[in-house]
Amino acid sequence: MISLYRPGNSPLHRLPAGRKLLLIGALILAISIYPHTLWTLGASAAIVVAAFLIAGQGLRGLWRQTRVVLPLIVFTAVFQLIFLPWMSATITTVRILLVILLAALISLTTQTSAMLDAIERALTPLSRIGVRADRIALLLALTITVIPVIISFARDIITAHRARGVRPGPRTFVVPLLVQTMRFADELGEALNARGVRS
Amino acid sequence: MAGTIDFDRVGVRFGEFDALRDVSVTLTQARIGVIGLNGSGKSTFARMLNALVLPGEGEVRVHGLDPSADAAKVRQIAGFVFANPDAQIIMPTVAEDVAFSLRGRGVPKPEIADRVARELEVFGLSALADAPAHELSGGQKQLLALCAVLITRPELVIADEPTALLDARNRRLIIDHLFSERVPQLVLITHDLDLASRCDVVLRFENGRLLEHGDPADIVARYAEAYA
Repeated sequence: MISLYRPGNSPLHRLPAGRKLLLIGALILAISIYPHTLWTLGASAAIVVAAFLIAGQGLRGLWRQTRVVLPLIVFTAVFQLIFLPWMSATITTVRILLVILLAALISLTTQTSAMLDAIERALTPLSRIGVRADRIALLLALTITVIPVIISFARDIITAHRARGVRPGPRTFVVPLLVQTMRFADELGEALNARGVRS
Repeated sequence: MAGTIDFDRVGVRFGEFDALRDVSVTLTQARIGVIGLNGSGKSTFARMLNALVLPGEGEVRVHGLDPSADAAKVRQIAGFVFANPDAQIIMPTVAEDVAFSLRGRGVPKPEIADRVARELEVFGLSALADAPAHELSGGQKQLLALCAVLITRPELVIADEPTALLDARNRRLIIDHLFSERVPQLVLITHDLDLASRCDVVLRFENGRLLEHGDPADIVARYAEAYA
């Protein structure tokens, strides 16, 4: 769920990031611990669907997010069905899906910088015990930014293997990926310094 | 107006390798080109201007500031554009990455939003403001990198082969911005001899030494003759 922000003017877009994190966080917590029947699960699903509609994402947006995590959900469901009665397996799997969808809703309606500002503000009181809130916020931003780059490295390596007619093996895939990632980390560190982030 | 860049018997060593040896030069020109073979020391020279590399010997002054002692101040006045734009992107979206440059500079938030909008407009990136920065084309990413530098209104821009990975159209756009009045002083590291010829002065490095500096036409001609 990397940087999914979709610009808009819905009530959820306008809600300050801190309050939105608290509100959706509370919903996530409630869905994680409360629903134990199909009825309460249905009510929770209705709330998530309504939240997507209020956020202007529509049912199509809801499906787009669901499709991304579908393999994970199917995988989870299969394991649950092996070890648990079908009712418990269904409830647990749907709850996981709803929680992921709500988390995605935060990303869809909140600019990363607003989210980071909120996290930074929330962590600032911890500066008394030496926690650098700005550094934690920057670390989160960099993580979100860099994951697509590392995925693109992986894609390039796979393409290079194909171009040379060989199948990527663990060594021929992992080693170049690590080398490229380390080199990128060096360059990124230099760019951070150049842009005024002190090391 | 261009400030003064002063190198006084500067040397840099990376392990056993002498990256720069005994470099002394004073530069006050607005457009400074730097040429040389790979590994000649030109990128090390450029990085010293932004305190990314510090001198092992000698003294460096950038607009009166000592990068060894005042790295943060030097980086406030000097922006750096790297060859690889991917490594310069810090925030996930285009507008956020440009805004990141103004963080910690005491610029009020509403002003940041205004300045970002205007800067994106200048660079033709307004329509991509909320786009994921890493999904841009190589040329757009380099424009973003330069946009993120120029929004800080730097006194000096150091560009290390900024057009190396670009097509003709984006190369032209980047060059137009770099040579515009918005860049009071430019240090341009390049293998593009036409571009070097457009500068007011050219420095030629070889094996870590500043071999010569002066009139671009003469220096570029001698360099081209040596390696043609």
